[in-house]
Amino acid sequence: MTRRNYIPIMLFITAVIGIQLITKFTGTNYYLTQLTMTAYYSLVIIGLCLVMGYAGQISLGHAGFFAIGGYTSAALTTCNLTSLFKNGNSLVKFLSSQGMLIKSQDLYGDPVLYVNPWLAAILAIMLTVAIAFLIGIPVLKLKGHYLAMATLGFGIIIFRIVLATEIFGEADGISEVPGFTLIPGVSVNGNFDNRIINYYIACGIVVIGIILLLNLINSRVGRALRAIHGAEDAANAMGINTSRYKLYTFVISAVFAAVAGIFLTHYNGGIGPSEAGIMKSIRYVAIVAIGGMANMWGALTMGVILNFMSLRGMFGSYDDAVFGAILIIIMLFAPEGLLRLAIWQKFFKKNDSAQ
Amino acid sequence: MKRFFTSTMLAIGALCMMLSSVPAQASSDTIKVGAILAVTGGASFLGGPESRTIQMQVDKINAAGGIHGKKIDLIIKDSGANPEKAISFTKQLIEEEHVFAILGPSTSGETMKIKNICEQGKTILISCGAAEVIVNPVAKYVFKTPQKDSFAVKKIYNDMNEKDIRKIAVLAGNTGFGKAGKKQLLTIAPEFGIEVVAAEVYDKKATDLSAVVAKLMANKDIQAVVNWSIVPAQAIVAKNIRQAGWDVPLYQSHGFGNIKYVEAAGAAAEGIIFPAGRLLVADVLPDSNVQKKILLQYKHDYENKFDDTASTFGGHGYDAIMILAKAVEEVGADKEKVRDAIENMKNFIGTGGVFNFSATDHNGLDIDSFAMMTVKDGKFVLY
Repeated sequence: MTRRNYIPIMLFITAVIGIQLITKFTGTNYYLTQLTMTAYYSLVIIGLCLVMGYAGQISLGHAGFFAIGGYTSAALTTCNLTSLFKNGNSLVKFLSSQGMLIKSQDLYGDPVLYVNPWLAAILAIMLTVAIAFLIGIPVLKLKGHYLAMATLGFGIIIFRIVLATEIFGEADGISEVPGFTLIPGVSVNGNFDNRIINYYIACGIVVIGIILLLNLINSRVGRALRAIHGAEDAANAMGINTSRYKLYTFVISAVFAAVAGIFLTHYNGGIGPSEAGIMKSIRYVAIVAIGGMANMWGALTMGVILNFMSLRGMFGSYDDAVFGAILIIIMLFAPEGLLRLAIWQKFFKKNDSAQ
Repeated sequence: MKRFFTSTMLAIGALCMMLSSVPAQASSDTIKVGAILAVTGGASFLGGPESRTIQMQVDKINAAGGIHGKKIDLIIKDSGANPEKAISFTKQLIEEEHVFAILGPSTSGETMKIKNICEQGKTILISCGAAEVIVNPVAKYVFKTPQKDSFAVKKIYNDMNEKDIRKIAVLAGNTGFGKAGKKQLLTIAPEFGIEVVAAEVYDKKATDLSAVVAKLMANKDIQAVVNWSIVPAQAIVAKNIRQAGWDVPLYQSHGFGNIKYVEAAGAAAEGIIFPAGRLLVADVLPDSNVQKKILLQYKHDYENKFDDTASTFGGHGYDAIMILAKAVEEVGADKEKVRDAIENMKNFIGTGGVFNFSATDHNGLDIDSFAMMTVKDGKFVLY
């Protein structure tokens, strides 16, 4: 990564800190709650941006990967192993002796023994990688509408599975997910007094995600991906292993979605089937489109603004309709994304000539 | 680079606008009440009537001068039955709006996600969700108005015992309501000496269930079918069973308590037996019934104001706002005192039944809040 690429990241970090200071001085730090949730959704969006914008593929199933991460980690950390431990289950005993289980008490004083969120998170990511590989190999051979349909189908399957499985709470989802203690004293949870630290954890994860993706995009892999986007056959002829690159990007973006799912589930203290729904997947695609496919900063900006407004209930009962309308309007009038409209280009041209 | 600067400028501009809009501080002459309801989405058949009812009752209270001169400032948030939105809205209502109490959410899944947040934020929550886990174990600030599922199940099983029905099949829709009901049906069956010989779950958007019906019909042991659902597909179950020429007794849950489902099932709805709150049969209740007056009043108000038949779901919203209003009227606008007042409230007559709250019972309804009903000539009548 060249030095040039660090400037936007520095500015982003400044903005993150700036927002926190503004909320602090105006006494409005409750905005950080929605900004934290938004930050996690943004992680899904920048991951999807890699697949859509750079590799030129589409995924209408990313809410599925988000749900795999969130649900796996929620199911493992809410499963009370106390009785198994007392009955002398050898696996539970072994995990406990390795410090992989956490003992605590619930609100009503009953003992709870659950899987360490670190272990749960690692298992969730491993599961996501495995599923993304299995799905990606056949599905990424498809092109255009067929790829869209196949990923949509995958999303629906995941949605149906969580809706019909008892350990995933069926229609009610999973509640009372414990916090995720990253290091002693720093925990991802929704407690009112942990808000500021959680805001920085979420933004920190997004920054790490961006650095990783920018490094990837500006490397040999990134150039290969853009070649695939431009003309897959030509890229193939040039000796680029297109199917492998497509698969890797797909898996990477799935992991981004899963990580977002894991952290947001711990932050919210629960997850429901709506997170796996089709409308969520479409929302992610709409945001990437409005940001301008291969424009990570654009997607990030639009993602933050739109998700923030949605989570604050600004769209009222028209929430899904707003995102649908956005997708249609952008595709019709600004297929390059809102931030690349001619009006902005003109503005900058003037600036350039002035210099 | 240019792209980045455009993005940042837009972002900073937008955020400044959002952050600068600091909500006005609550004035002392209003009582701010939040409501998180699924006005749209998959549970709108609950949230729709609930939000209309709550708004209607609040308008009524305010038009009469408020409670002790204080008007209610109602903020309705549409969660669309999304738990993540319910979580976000709850935090917003508690921290920004400093609401006095929160009514809703419409579904049990959402309620369970925000139960701990309300507990932590010391804010009264009066839920319209049906599941028992909402109030068991009891959380200090969390109450609920719909009757417990287990009472409905016991009502049905009582009736079966009278008819000496021993072997039954259970059908349930794949919603939170169906899930909770199926669990109760299976758990309580042994207490009544009833055996569930088959249990099937169907999709809430199903349009034809004849395959499921055929499978059950093949099992000659089945003496009755219980269909536990709250979605339109429950009318299809009734239709498919009668179309197949199966004259098995059909029981439904209180989720059947909407005349639209009877209309959808047509002739097949005749003779369906189900437990429900008395709102559905308000017109034919004996005059001695304590609930009759308020049931007729609510039905009349709601149906005159909206182009919609009054359902028991809207009634849950009515009970939630009226219980809160009653408690505020008794002890004034003090959160802790109002919480205590609700917990100690006795003989409150609502649409769901007569509420008697206590420190161990934050639902306050007993098994008599349900009455067994049936469908006769396309209308609900007492059974």
